[in-house]
Parts: sequence; C-alpha cells; structure tokens
Amino acid sequence: MGLIDALLGRVKPAVPRRDALFSISTAYITLEANLDIRHAGVAGICFKIVSSTTFERLQSDLEELLTLAKRDTATEYRIEKDSFGYLWIVLRDNDFEDLVTTINMISETVIENGFGGALLSSVFKFKNRSGKEIYIIYNYKSGRFYPFVPEGARQRDEQYELKLNAVLSSELPLEKDISKWYPMWGLPL
Amino acid sequence: MRGNDWYGKDWGLTVRMVLTVGLLIIVYLAFLTILAQFMEAIPLLMIAAVFLMAQYYFADRLVLWSTGAKIVSREEYPELHTMVERLCNLANISKPRIAIIDTPIPNAFATGRSQNKAVVAVTTGLLQRLNQEELEGVLGHELTHVKNRDVLVITIASFLSTIAWFVMRFSFYSSLFRGGSRDRSAGATIVIFLVSLLVWLVSFLLIRALSRYREFAADRGSAIITGNPSALISALLKISGVMKRIPTRDLREVEGMNAFFIIPAISGDTIMSIFSTHPPLEKRIERLSAMERAMEGFHGSY
Repeated sequence: MGLIDALLGRVKPAVPRRDALFSISTAYITLEANLDIRHAGVAGICFKIVSSTTFERLQSDLEELLTLAKRDTATEYRIEKDSFGYLWIVLRDNDFEDLVTTINMISETVIENGFGGALLSSVFKFKNRSGKEIYIIYNYKSGRFYPFVPEGARQRDEQYELKLNAVLSSELPLEKDISKWYPMWGLPL
Repeated sequence: MRGNDWYGKDWGLTVRMVLTVGLLIIVYLAFLTILAQFMEAIPLLMIAAVFLMAQYYFADRLVLWSTGAKIVSREEYPELHTMVERLCNLANISKPRIAIIDTPIPNAFATGRSQNKAVVAVTTGLLQRLNQEELEGVLGHELTHVKNRDVLVITIASFLSTIAWFVMRFSFYSSLFRGGSRDRSAGATIVIFLVSLLVWLVSFLLIRALSRYREFAADRGSAIITGNPSALISALLKISGVMKRIPTRDLREVEGMNAFFIIPAISGDTIMSIFSTHPPLEKRIERLSAMERAMEGFHGSY
C-alpha cells in the first residue's frame, strides 16, 4: 500500500507504534546488572503541536489524566515547549515501572484521539556510576529505541552509545541504522 | 476507530491523479501503436531510455550544480538539521541531505532519484524571511515530494513524451532534407510528424497537470506532517510576495529539471495555468484552508 499511496500522492501520517515501548521496563534491569546504570527517575514524551482546537482539548485532557495519575502513583509531571516548538510532558517518579506505564498511557490517549501522527519520541533518562547522563530514546514511527549520550554542548560519546547498543540488543528492538540515531540536544529532562 | 481523521480527505485529488495517469497511458499506447506501423521503434526507445536514465541518475548532482546549492553538515546548520530530522521522524522517512543556496530569493526544492539519494535545498533568503513554523511548512512540502517519489513519477511520465519530441524533430528534419523525393515515404514522414507533435502536446499538458496535482499533494502532506496548514499558507504568501519583487533569474535555469520547487522559479501571471508546473497560489491556499476547516470540524472521540 505504501508505494501505491506514494504514487497517487496520497499522504497519510505515519502510524505510531507503541507495542515495543514496554520492553524498556525489562531492559533497565539489564542496564543496572551489566553496566551499573540506574534510571534517573525522569522520562519525557515529545510531540508536535497540531494547530487545532481538538488538539488543545486533548492537551487539557492529558493534564487531567496526569493529575489523576499523580494521586495513584505519585508521578509528578511538567509540560513545556522546547525551542523547536514541540510539546514535552516530563514525568518524575522514582518507580521506573510507573514512568513507563504513564508514558504508555499518554501515548495511548494521543493515538486514540487521532493524533498519533504527532508523536515524535519518548525519552528515558539514566545515569551511570560516575554520573554520566544516558538517554534511551524511543521513536514512535519506527517502533525502535536508540541510545543518546551527550557529552558537553554538542558532542556525543559515540563509543558509549555503541556499547549500550551491544548490551541492549537482546533486550530492546534497537534502531539498526546508526544514521537515524538523531541527537536531541538540550533535553528538558 | 472512527472513520475520520483530523486532516480530512481529498478524494478529488486522488481521482484526478488517477485520471491524468490513465490518460497519459492511453495517449502513450496509441502513440507506440502508430509509431510501430511506420518505423522500427525499439532502437529509438532504447536511446531515449539511456538518455532519461542518465538524467534520472544524475538528477541530484545536476540540479545541485546548476543552482549552486552546497550540501551542508549538521555542524554548519544544526537547527535546520534538527528540524528536518524531526519532521522525517514524524513522517517515518530517511533524512535527505540538506543543501543551502546563497541567494536572497526565498525558495526551496527537493531532488534526487530515491529517498536515499534525496536532497532538500533551501535558500538563505528563505531562512532569513520565514519563522520556524513557516520553515517547517516548506520543509514538510519538500519532504512529501521525497516521500511520494515525485522525481521518479515525473521521469517515468515524461519518458514517452521525450520520445515523441525526438521523433517530431527527427521527422521534421528528414522531411526537410529529402524534400518530397518519394511520395509514399514523404507522406509517412508527415503522418509521423503530426502524430508525434500531437502526442507531445497532449502529454506535455497532462504531465503539467500531474505536476500540479503532485504540488497539491505535497502541500497536503506538509500540513499532515506539521499539523499546521496555516503556517504553510503564510509561508507561501511570504515567498510569492517577495518573488514578485525580486527578479528570479538565477533560479530560472533549472526549470524543467528534476527538481521540485515550493514556488516555481518562473512565476507570475504571464504563464497560463494549464502550462504551469504549479497550481495557482489562490488554489493552494484554498485547499490548505479547507484542511484547516476539516481540522476544526474534527472532534476525535470528544
């Protein structure tokens, strides 16, 4: 169908996939056991703002849901816009499972309301023993994860990223094409 | 699931696209049938195929070279790169190479034979004049050209049209030089000339129509990727407004090449709409506004 749509010039938003999202909740155990990397208790979800009233309603619905979730799981949330005009919902919780569940709930709500095409990525923050910040990014359209380890303002620790890639390859569906490991500088996490 | 999407549907566009391609195929088949009556068509097809393959294969380099576009790295234009990456992620396509043309004229184009070989180029004038959302709208338009494989579609559609043009020229000169020496062959030459002239004319118009539909589709795609049709409208208005004031000579040279500009390099009211590669600005804005209305009419599961 993809080719026929392309030839007819019919554009559809890419279908988001969240089936693989949950695999991060087991992968973090591997990270801790093998590399002594711990989760930092922060995760974020990023999406493009669609300029419609219905989307604004979705946003306020999400806030309501998150307020409810806060009572249940004590997950703190913060909403902010980044310098590229994308919306971030940043979650804080010391329980990693709760973070994953809430990220999944947000993704599900966005998709169910017809705005799945706007989902860009989810980001989970980790730290190793020496305090190095490590991010595992989930791309909704490919349904794959990739590591991102920033070093300073515009550098990445590629060696460390490749190491993570090797360790996690049996746990997570990882993006095999390294050229798609797009950096996300200045993460609000 | 609801049978409804926030961006609405445009069946008319799909129908017109199918009709145009269908008509092209009919014209081409008729042309080949008639051509085969009079001459050995296979060698001619082979020559034209080689010619077009070369043009197709070198599309990106040719266009980059003639526009003076320079491929830029992430270090040189970090924000532009991130913007494109995110849009590619949203649309689930590979990131094209990014090029910059140093000119105050605001414009952008996409070229390259495949998604992997694609190049999206923007002018420095575009970067200066548009805000972030407008720039995203333009990039979304160009990325949709890449996603829809428009270089490939138009190259294939133009294949037999190019042959018709060759045959027309060839038969014209051969009739000139032989000057009616033998009645029968002179008659055949005239028939071939007229048929190929007709085929070339009709297919030219059809290809232009197809091209305009691809532009509509790219506008639509942009609005769907960015979720913001109004930003593209405002970008189109800004670009065309500036282009009317600034002479566009340096970008004219690439007209007719395998590049898809956001606004045609030759613009203005001088070209009749059926010959134009791009739909008139008002129509594009009208369609985008219709999407905006569809978005406000969409209530999801609320």
